[in-house]
Amino acid sequence: MRVCAAVVLVVIALTASAANASSSAQITVYAAASLTNVFPQIDGTQRYSFGGSNTLAAQIQQGAPADVFASANMTLPQQLFEKNLCSKPVVFTRNRLVIVVPKSNPAKLSSIYDLRRKGVKLVIAGPGVPVGSYTLRVLKNMNLAASVLPNVVSRETDVREVLAKVALGEADAGFVYSTDARVDAARLRVLKVPAWAQPKVQYGICVVAGSTHKSDAQAFVKKVLGKAGQARLRAAGFLSRVKKKG
Amino acid sequence: MRRVGLVLLLGLATAVSLAFLLLPIVALFVHTTPGRLISQLSSDVVKDAFVVSLKTSLIAQLLIVGFGTPTAFVIATRRFPGRSLAVTLVELPLVLPPAVAGIGLLAAFGRMGLLGSELSALGISLPFTQSAVVVAVTFVASPLYVRAAIAAFEGVDPDLVAASRTLGVSPTRTFFRVVLPLARAGLAAGLALSFARGLGEFGATIMFAGSLQAVTQTLPLAIYSQFDLDFDTAVAMGAVLVLVSIVLLVSLRLLLSWQSSSSTRSSSRFGLSTSG
Repeated sequence: MRVCAAVVLVVIALTASAANASSSAQITVYAAASLTNVFPQIDGTQRYSFGGSNTLAAQIQQGAPADVFASANMTLPQQLFEKNLCSKPVVFTRNRLVIVVPKSNPAKLSSIYDLRRKGVKLVIAGPGVPVGSYTLRVLKNMNLAASVLPNVVSRETDVREVLAKVALGEADAGFVYSTDARVDAARLRVLKVPAWAQPKVQYGICVVAGSTHKSDAQAFVKKVLGKAGQARLRAAGFLSRVKKKG
Repeated sequence: MRRVGLVLLLGLATAVSLAFLLLPIVALFVHTTPGRLISQLSSDVVKDAFVVSLKTSLIAQLLIVGFGTPTAFVIATRRFPGRSLAVTLVELPLVLPPAVAGIGLLAAFGRMGLLGSELSALGISLPFTQSAVVVAVTFVASPLYVRAAIAAFEGVDPDLVAASRTLGVSPTRTFFRVVLPLARAGLAAGLALSFARGLGEFGATIMFAGSLQAVTQTLPLAIYSQFDLDFDTAVAMGAVLVLVSIVLLVSLRLLLSWQSSSSTRSSSRFGLSTSG
């Protein structure tokens, strides 16, 4: 009996300590997979969960303990904002799409138009993933959707999965952000997407309504929007948050 | 007094564990009304995923039975050097994290993998194909069948085999007329477990085969891809998999009771864990 009581007490103590672990000033940032390398450079002291923005948004909707949400589009944080689940999102950076092919270029691709060739193994992100819908936008803009989409062999859960499948040489090509292509430059070759066909890739950031560290979360957002944060983003190849005129 | 307290504590612990296990299952079914649940299942994503899952699982189980049965028979009835190593090897995928299995399959059968150039010389490229799903499912699910099959063959009374042989029956005929009928319940139970594990395969599949609707997107992959697009559809597919699992488990129980009533040997040697 006493042993049982002791076991119960230990279990309660362990559960309580696990719950208490989150009471430090460290915040939890849910961020798009494309920010995996740059966010820890901006602030290395926070806890990060990187993934497809759509997956992260769904998790926040299900009550995940996030303090900040940084998405690879504006739509997802805007939707959370409209459901009172996060603050009004602001654009904190922009990006552009490129095509990556393995360094060995097994399908011998030299431009986006080569993606129409039969037998090319193209990997893109899933329909709900921001980079997945940007990819469809590009193909639509260039009138290539009908001829290129039949070559898609997999729809991955986030941009870094696309990158990995191409870098491993398993796929012939994939659509990623230009910043992702830089991360694994040694194993990749980049094909450009024409500027006129580029979608509007804006990253939105907001403070999650359920956050228990609102002021720390706001401080983090400020850091990302601030001079140093923006410089880090630009150094990693991201575009400045407002488009320069002319 | 102390006894009463102990009984209460035991009862409480049992109630808590059962409720904990039951709650997520119940939640899947009460999330929407049965009518809506069924209407969610009529979407193309679900139908395609169901077909892919069924097709790849059936082929994988055929391979598992075809290769696993002789392997298990050899391990169960022959003593050879490295036998315990072989036993460990056939059980390894059981404890291997599926993500590790996925990486391993890519490193072995991927285009840049160990056998990549040999395979491509034969005009075979596995990743992103339905065959890749079959390979992943076979890899992770086979131990459950092989393990049960080894135990089933070990459980066959060697005197009966010897009797058959002394009566002049060939080894092949003895295998099909004596050994196989005696081991069939154990083999079927192993197959049910292996089928259940294969149907739930996720990690190795998404890494090795990718995910494309109607080609490589199995039910678990479809659940993951629908999770953020349409939670209700994801829940509906989850409910389907729960029902299939229940059917498999119930048939497993029936098989095991069939076996224990048809043979004098205990059935407790079957490992029932489906980790991974």
